[in-house]
Amino acid sequence: MSIARRPLKRRQVLSGSAAGAVTLASGFAAPAIANTEPIKIGYLPALTGPSSSTGIGINRGTQLAVDEINNAGGINGRKIELIVRDTQSDPTKAVNAVAELTQRAKASVIWGPLNSGEALAATPLIARDKVPMLHPCWVDELIDVKKYPMAFRIAPTNTQVGKGANHYVVNVLKLKKVAVVSDTTGYGTASVNTYVPMLKAMGAEVVYTNHVDAANPDLKPELLRMQSAGAQAIMPWSVNAGFLSRILNTRGAMGWDVPVVGQTTLGSGQTKALLDKPENWNKVYSNNFRNCCYVSGKLPPRAAEYVERLKKAKIEFGDTLLWWVALGWDGAQMMGETLKAVGPKAEDIVAYWNKVKGWPGIYGTVTWTPDQHNGFPDEEVVMCEVNSLKDGAFNIAPGYAS
Amino acid sequence: MLESIVSYGLAVGAVYALIGITYNVMFSASRVFSFTAGMLGMLGGVLGALFINKWGLNAALGFVLVLVCGAVLGLVTEVLTVRPVLKSIEQHLYVLSTLAFALMVQQVTAIEFGTEAQPFPLLIPIDANSIMGIVDQKFWLPVLACIITIAGLEFLYRRTLIGRAFLAIAEDSYAARALGLPETRLRLASYAIAGIIGTLAGFTGAQMLLAFFGNQSILNFYGFVPVALGGMGSNRGAVIGGLALGLFQQAANFLVGGIFAAVAVFAVFIVVLLLRPEGLAGAAAARRV
Repeated sequence: MSIARRPLKRRQVLSGSAAGAVTLASGFAAPAIANTEPIKIGYLPALTGPSSSTGIGINRGTQLAVDEINNAGGINGRKIELIVRDTQSDPTKAVNAVAELTQRAKASVIWGPLNSGEALAATPLIARDKVPMLHPCWVDELIDVKKYPMAFRIAPTNTQVGKGANHYVVNVLKLKKVAVVSDTTGYGTASVNTYVPMLKAMGAEVVYTNHVDAANPDLKPELLRMQSAGAQAIMPWSVNAGFLSRILNTRGAMGWDVPVVGQTTLGSGQTKALLDKPENWNKVYSNNFRNCCYVSGKLPPRAAEYVERLKKAKIEFGDTLLWWVALGWDGAQMMGETLKAVGPKAEDIVAYWNKVKGWPGIYGTVTWTPDQHNGFPDEEVVMCEVNSLKDGAFNIAPGYAS
Repeated sequence: MLESIVSYGLAVGAVYALIGITYNVMFSASRVFSFTAGMLGMLGGVLGALFINKWGLNAALGFVLVLVCGAVLGLVTEVLTVRPVLKSIEQHLYVLSTLAFALMVQQVTAIEFGTEAQPFPLLIPIDANSIMGIVDQKFWLPVLACIITIAGLEFLYRRTLIGRAFLAIAEDSYAARALGLPETRLRLASYAIAGIIGTLAGFTGAQMLLAFFGNQSILNFYGFVPVALGGMGSNRGAVIGGLALGLFQQAANFLVGGIFAAVAVFAVFIVVLLLRPEGLAGAAAARRV
């Protein structure tokens, strides 16, 4: 008997495999989760790659909080299982990890991504899969209750960060003539375009503003123009340590003691390494957070008690920043408390978060409403003295009422 | 102001000129514009900081090692990205192959070395109050490197037999091969020399430009401008073009500032090319018909 062989058509193959998939799915349907099974939290830190320093700091706090919760008996008898996927500072890897965490691992909630670049790529996908998401990224567009109703932020926005710096210059230092500069990156130009109108609305006179090529090795012309325009403070918006250090070095070489107020990179180790003299870091104030700054040599009580706990758990934080570690702890603690209160169902978690009010974190006090998923209060964004780093924390900048 | 324009302008201009010469040396040997010139410049700074700051080698040893790495990278560039596409040079595939190689190296540098600019060590311990310390070494080092390079190349090309062989290959590779010159070996040697010059530019300019992976694209572009201005293949043109570009850029920086300085540079570049497409020092190419 001969069998006529007909070539398989593409459509037949596809329908066949679809049928197979249905059979498999129904055959191996997941059993109802027993109450002792761990609750899964999908976690997307960048632990390697160029943006990993933040992720490594946050990770220490997150791991500590999860260990504390699990050692204390877990969530109503169920352990938390942190499913970690290192995004390697790469948005593509973050996107792939989201699919794995939400669709295959069935995580109840996602913590991260911890960097804005990856969060911009991952957030729409997490929203599509309808999984509650908590993140600490600053880019304003990442929170939108209409587009991403299940996404919540446990950190300030870029607007709040700029507002904090503007408040310090205009209301605390009482300086009215300000020079605002940035590099030519998207972040730099967007920051200047957002913060300059805010400064003007506060009554400051923006005497000089410009976007400067960060690769320009000589910034003396820029600073001379700022000086002749009568600037009393320089506000550079850039995450480029080379650019920022050139501003500080040029200011030092000119012998101009104008304060420099801006973003956290001003106080980073990379910027410090590029300074011609350590004195060039004097009168430089960068963004920080009230709960994690020394006031008269002491940390606020919540943070001080937390530092003791870190020391007891032998968690290293002198080589990173206290606020990163505290932020990691806050995120995991917030998720732990939520799961304990309402369980792992997505809509219950979102409903619970929509009502969080004045939650006392180590890093910040969180308040969310159904219309506002940015949880960080303006008044906790402060400036710090960049040359005062000790045990991962800075002195609050001079002039704030304690 | 004038002092700042001259010191920064000449120093940056010398770096651009050296990168321009790097392009030229590779172009003369192969008729290929290898976009690895900026990569070599970037690596001069990055490898220098790595060897001296991180590994703790002394400056002289670090310098020699950087140049050796430059020469090796030059050889690799020739073998991997130029030789395979030489047969179909009219399709200009070298643009793709050299640029892809340069980008790969840049990405690896970013991953291994970091994306932040890093400090470059003071190379020569000079007392700032001595006569030698009047002008910062970050300004005169690239200028000195440029002078030595151009003098060395002139000597090589005009006074030595091997240099004349290089010129013969550049002039007419078919005729040179017919005369029995080892074209492949000479091309390899040219790429090694280009590697040394490129990393020399980056190494001597790094106190000013810092050790930063992002310098690659800037050097690739600003190093190409003097080549276009000065005439392709003309090293003297590249030096004049590079120094003029540095001075003009710095003057524009003072006069208009910010991103407008870059716009001013591009505007002049385009105007010069419109007026003299063959470059300031280049001769209009005669085409045999």
